[in-house]
Amino acid sequence: MSDAPRLFEQGLIRTRLKRAIRQGAEDFLLARAGADLSDRLSAVLRHFDVVVDWGTPGPHAADALLASGKVGRLIRSAPLIEALAPSPYPSIVADAGLFPFGRESVDAVISLLALQTVDDLPGALMQIRRALKPDGLFLACLIGGSSLTELRQSLAAAESEIEGGISPRVAPFADISDLGGLLQRAGFALPVSDVDSFTVRYASPLGLMHDLRRMGATNALTERRKSPMRRATLIRAMEIYAERFSDPDGRIRASFELIWISGWTPHESQQKPLKPGSASQRLADALGVREMVGGEKPDRLK
Amino acid sequence: MHSSNESAASTERHIDPKLLELLVCPLTKSVLRYDAERQELVSSAARLAYPIRDGIPIMLPDEARMIDDSER
Repeated sequence: MSDAPRLFEQGLIRTRLKRAIRQGAEDFLLARAGADLSDRLSAVLRHFDVVVDWGTPGPHAADALLASGKVGRLIRSAPLIEALAPSPYPSIVADAGLFPFGRESVDAVISLLALQTVDDLPGALMQIRRALKPDGLFLACLIGGSSLTELRQSLAAAESEIEGGISPRVAPFADISDLGGLLQRAGFALPVSDVDSFTVRYASPLGLMHDLRRMGATNALTERRKSPMRRATLIRAMEIYAERFSDPDGRIRASFELIWISGWTPHESQQKPLKPGSASQRLADALGVREMVGGEKPDRLK
Repeated sequence: MHSSNESAASTERHIDPKLLELLVCPLTKSVLRYDAERQELVSSAARLAYPIRDGIPIMLPDEARMIDDSER
């Protein structure tokens, strides 16, 4: 199987998510992604017989898919059983990095906020591409690399100041430039990626930390420091956050970035570039200009 | 998440037969055998039996039961 380094502890991610759901999950990121998904689906002029909602930790993708009227059968998956209930759809529990559907068995795979904590993302995309039928759609939204940059900087500054060293506390999320290439390498045609960047303001950094816990999104990195953060470090980090990243009214800013990626499994009906040299008309004729031969300069430059 | 195989089989919800046709082993991508009595999806290739709880297949290798040769 995969030799990718284990960046994330999948079991711990499930434990954190379970706690968040039990306490009443905070879902503003999922709700934003779900609303965006509805818009994106309205631009897709196709019907999909079998659709997999891959790993979305709430009903947001399933609801948007159902409302689109473009889905025959919907199968939901989530990292744990609690994130599925109550689900009227056939459902499975699965690890977002291990796609358990047979070759060319599904028509679309849609995923919200699940793939950012997969250790081997290229491998996961490859598995998804193989399970899609020709002309099948893959559309996913991931938390991007510029998210929580203020928190990352504040924690690092406080930790080095007080404890004399830093440990990874905010996950290294993927960059959009990496993701476009990954889609292509995984064999997807017509790859597209774009970013939804926005700022959320909180009364204090503690409000942000509270939300992250309620999203089940606290540190699950394998290389994280296992002992709890010292109180002095946490307090200093909150001070630095408030000093560096607050607005004139005293509220603090937290950056979030949602990266959207999509691709289609290749099919002969899709648009593709012609082979070089296969043109049947001159470009100069199409443009209504005189064709120049090599080395000749345009009139105005003479 | 504790549930014995016997109690799982007696629950109301059953696995969707159309879902069964689509699923493969998450590790080996090979076919799965449905064991209705034990409520498991058995991957001979991976030597793992994935539990089905309340009609929901748990496709996590960490939660699967290792099987021996006699069950393959």
